[in-house]
Amino acid sequence: MTQQNASNPQTLIGAGVLLIGLGLAAGAVSIPSAAGYGGVGPNFLPWLVAVSLVACGGFMVWEARTGGFREMDAPTGAAGASGAYWPGFVWVSAGLLANAALITTIGFILSCTLCFVLAVQGLRGAEGKVGIRPALLMKDTVIGIAIAAPVYWMFTQFLAINLPGLTSTGWL
Amino acid sequence: MDIFNQLMQGFATAATPVNLLWCFVGCALGTAVGVLPGIGPAVAVAMLLPITVKVEATASMIFFAGIYYGAMYGGSTTSILLNTPGETASMVTAMEGNKMAKSGRAGAALATAAVGSFVAGTIATVLVTLFAPVVAEQAVKLGPPEYFMLMLLAFTTVSAVLGKSTLRGMTALFIGLAAGLVGLDQISAQARYTGGIPELLDGIEIVLVAVGLFAVAEALHAVLYEGKVLDEQNRLSKVHMTGRDWKRSWPAWLRGTAIGVPFGCIPAGGTEIPTFLSYAAEKKLARDSDAKGEFGTTGAIEGVAGPEAANNATVTAAMIPLLTLGIPTSNTTAILLGAFQNYGIQPGPQLFTTSSSLVWALIASLYIGNVMLLVLNLPMVGLWVKLLKIPKPYLYAGILIFATVGVYGMRQSAFDLFLLYAIGVLGVVMRRFDFPTAPVIVGMILGPLAEAQLRNAMSIGEGSAIIFVQRPVSLVLIAVVVAVLVLPRLSRVWTARQARA
Repeated sequence: MTQQNASNPQTLIGAGVLLIGLGLAAGAVSIPSAAGYGGVGPNFLPWLVAVSLVACGGFMVWEARTGGFREMDAPTGAAGASGAYWPGFVWVSAGLLANAALITTIGFILSCTLCFVLAVQGLRGAEGKVGIRPALLMKDTVIGIAIAAPVYWMFTQFLAINLPGLTSTGWL
Repeated sequence: MDIFNQLMQGFATAATPVNLLWCFVGCALGTAVGVLPGIGPAVAVAMLLPITVKVEATASMIFFAGIYYGAMYGGSTTSILLNTPGETASMVTAMEGNKMAKSGRAGAALATAAVGSFVAGTIATVLVTLFAPVVAEQAVKLGPPEYFMLMLLAFTTVSAVLGKSTLRGMTALFIGLAAGLVGLDQISAQARYTGGIPELLDGIEIVLVAVGLFAVAEALHAVLYEGKVLDEQNRLSKVHMTGRDWKRSWPAWLRGTAIGVPFGCIPAGGTEIPTFLSYAAEKKLARDSDAKGEFGTTGAIEGVAGPEAANNATVTAAMIPLLTLGIPTSNTTAILLGAFQNYGIQPGPQLFTTSSSLVWALIASLYIGNVMLLVLNLPMVGLWVKLLKIPKPYLYAGILIFATVGVYGMRQSAFDLFLLYAIGVLGVVMRRFDFPTAPVIVGMILGPLAEAQLRNAMSIGEGSAIIFVQRPVSLVLIAVVVAVLVLPRLSRVWTARQARA
């Protein structure tokens, strides 16, 4: 990645931090100051954080526009030249979001297995092994259940911590 | 004598079969976590925090401490056999250790790392035993102004000194502080940044942020950028040190311990500095011995022995500020602090009086854990190496299951799982642009505490900030904070000027 190429996403990051700072500042307006006799109220730290983030964001934008972030390591991983593998990202994201959406309906074991299977497809694709075979999918599902089920049982049976199940038996 | 009696009582508590079992499971799990790439002690402890709901405090702290140490032992195995360190603390070990392994001396490197970790861990535990009560006694005298300054020092070192870029370190710190702001204000019970979402009134769980930033971000980063990275595994040779290896190792262990302990005690956080210092010291000392030619070529055993000892000494000594002041100096200790908080226990000078049996059982468990880990890591190292054979897709996808159980188990909220994903994406961005993560965690955990101390201090000063310079200890701490910020920069300018002249 040349510095010229790198500076645009870096500007975005800086701008993002700046925006977070502004957002926090906007939120801080509505926090009452009610300082009591300490002189420092509940809105002091929010303002401090907001102003600091705006300053940090501003600085980062400046760094990005003047030759890129200072003292930065080259990103790790072999993808430096070839770029990111976005299909894999979509698979893993789909797994995580499906898990979040379904866990209360289909239960921990099934939901996590689904997340596992989806994530494995993406991660395997990242290694260059594209293509979904039914036999392999079956194997992934079995492994997913073999991890999720004992974890579930350990939490519900041994530690008595509630996790959502498809049934209320604590076993599935 | 008093300390000795209390320690013995601690052993009596820690050595009950149930607690021994927790210690063993913790050590084994920690070793596994250390060996496996992509998952470190901080996230392992974070994912298991839900057990604090059911398991009794002493047992779970023993368990977490076992994970914490175990990961340090296990991490060296990965960095010696693969070139990718299992966790940051083993980065230096990877340099010489991997070279030794390449020239067929993996066994000796593994042995010196394990025995060195044991020696350093044990010496540091003795120091914790002797000094923690003394520090606690002194710390009782500290008031809110001093505590606030100590926390400010921790913030400064973790964000401005440790990373490469002060700007990105500070940004990470303020992001963490912002995350800590969400929820009810501790003093006035004023809701802040909840956006009307009831789930946010309780604040953002530390588990959520830690698991998102480490585990989920790790999986997302792996799928995006690391698919084509091939790990080359070195052959494991017999785990054995020759007489000459021993002779060369032990001075390096002791030097590493001497370097590591002070760094653990001060809120200067992290194992990077002491391990690098120890490596540099060993390299320098090797100049007039036969080890000289081995550094950077076939691998010098001192270069593994020293940093590994320094690493474990730092990690163990970090218990002193954690237990006596309630100040975490690393990701993992920050999460351990979170575990204490889950029990409604606030580590600090009073801990030694209010929860004396817990503290001493924990300290005793450190001795026991070190012995267990030596056994787990020397004769059984071949077993752990097998973990490296797990295919990456299964490893990372499996981590996601554990991430879910940790986060969901904490609050039983599916909303948290969406938040988890968002934080994971944030983590990938941070990693891609070289932002440190420790300041986020430390800022988030210490932020609310520091805010409370600040406001209490200001109340004592009746609204005037002069209170911070009126009290001698607080004044000294301000000077230290300034020194920590200014000195490294001055020395950089100075060396640049020297180089030009």
